Amino acid sequence: MKLSELKLRNFKWLFGRNSEFWPTNMKTGMWAWVGHRLTGLALVVYVFLHLSFITTASFGEDGADFDSLMEITSQPLFVLMDFILVIVVIYHAMNGFRVILFDMGIGIKRQKLVFWICMAVAAVLVVGGLWAVWDLIFVPSGGA
Amino acid sequence: MSEQRIATSKVAGTWAWFFQRVSAVLLVVFLAIHIYADHFMDLGGETGDEPLITFSDVSIRLDQLFYIVVDYGMLSMVLFHGLNGLRTVMFDFDMFAKRKRLIDVTLWVVGIATLIWGIVILLPFISGSGG
Repeated sequence: MKLSELKLRNFKWLFGRNSEFWPTNMKTGMWAWVGHRLTGLALVVYVFLHLSFITTASFGEDGADFDSLMEITSQPLFVLMDFILVIVVIYHAMNGFRVILFDMGIGIKRQKLVFWICMAVAAVLVVGGLWAVWDLIFVPSGGA
Repeated sequence: MSEQRIATSKVAGTWAWFFQRVSAVLLVVFLAIHIYADHFMDLGGETGDEPLITFSDVSIRLDQLFYIVVDYGMLSMVLFHGLNGLRTVMFDFDMFAKRKRLIDVTLWVVGIATLIWGIVILLPFISGSGG
């Protein structure tokens, strides 16, 4: 494919109204698959962000730059973003678990049920995560 | 092998498929340790069990070989899993699939360079006295 072919209309087969990825054309398994790829790509971006943040430890006396960055990232807005990260990871892990089950030939005949069971477990884990970060997001700190 | 068909991409190959599963399982284990050690375990550092992570907290943790192994192990697994996943996604597109060799070389270079980056940035914590 040449760069000149990168026009929107050339991707109608992929994202158009009649494509298999148009929201109303997608079934459960396809949503799960699309979600897995989107969360996966987001997590790849996050890893590089994570390493960039840790790089600050190389600067400043005794990691002073790292400490001041950590102070900023402990603010509610950043903890909320951490919580979104937790949701993304839990979805990716639980759907990945489902993929491995199917690879081993387990549960394929009841794949929709298996998906929703995995998502129920994911929901429980997300609630656990919310419980863990609740105070950091919603309770104003008494000074750190 | 039975005739059961597994969902491997013909372009990406079976080994990529296999190690994606192996690294996935390892990542769940590493991530559990990583999150617990970084955010819940009281390391006895200056900040005690406060949620705030400090340079000295991390230094104290990385005084133990176990956590160095966990961090570097997780780094290598996350880079493999992430870039191999990206590779699988890319190979679903013709424009990338027909440039397999170029993509493979590029991803290996990016992966190894990032691994070295990750190893280097943890060294200040490891050499730090940790209060």
